[in-house]
Amino acid sequence: MLWPAEVRTLIEHDTSSAVAGELSLPAEPAKLVMAREYAQQAAAAFGLDHDRSYEFVFAVNEAVTNAIRHGAPDEHGHIMLSVLSEGDRLTFAVRDYGTFTAPGEDRGEHAEGGRGFALMTRLMDAVQLCVAPGNTTVRLSKARA
Amino acid sequence: MGFFYIGDEATDAVATNGDDVAVLVAGGELDYAASPQLKERLGESIEAGASHLVLDLSMATFIDSTAIGVLVGAVMRLREVDGGSLTVVCEEENQRVLRIFEIAGVDSLITLHRSREEALSELALAG
Repeated sequence: MLWPAEVRTLIEHDTSSAVAGELSLPAEPAKLVMAREYAQQAAAAFGLDHDRSYEFVFAVNEAVTNAIRHGAPDEHGHIMLSVLSEGDRLTFAVRDYGTFTAPGEDRGEHAEGGRGFALMTRLMDAVQLCVAPGNTTVRLSKARA
Repeated sequence: MGFFYIGDEATDAVATNGDDVAVLVAGGELDYAASPQLKERLGESIEAGASHLVLDLSMATFIDSTAIGVLVGAVMRLREVDGGSLTVVCEEENQRVLRIFEIAGVDSLITLHRSREEALSELALAG
């Protein structure tokens, strides 16, 4: 599969494995594969090992899915993904432009939905939810080891 | 869009407890984009009369919480029918998919087997 060139070039990194970049992504289910590719590139550039890269990509996919499914895009139909490394920690932020409403109580094992956030917290070292008027950001952080 | 596929498999080669067993195969990237079709195919099998679904995910390279949610929805439909079940087959080598099932907390709803033969023989015994 071919990826747009901008996905490859958006992630800048130097020899100290510092990683920074952002990607404006159309808020469409078919674009989730691009979000995963972007997260994979960032994890590789940062130097996460195989298992931690997979966990990182999985959690990013959940956050982007939530943004597409429950959030709102900007006026161009996009959500914003960004990635930043700070020391030994790689953080991926997913921002949509909806006003977050808290989901109801945990719907339990038999419910079809509601597993994404639990899986994110299980697989990442830190998950932050930042709610502001007009936008919602989820920050997923993973340490190098 | 990521690559994925969903298909039916003939069960003739393996002894089963009858026509109420359907085997489906889904491979590739089973994400939110793929989930509507996954849901449709499982629904078609249930509507066609299958009460025991075996879904082989050995060739799945990715599965997310929405696809797991679709499987849970199918289990709940199958349980409305007398004693229906959903069994997932995933080879031991496919740790990516197995790992997600391990932490998704759906053990009591979805039985996991490492091979299709193992899954079908268990259903035959249960039948």
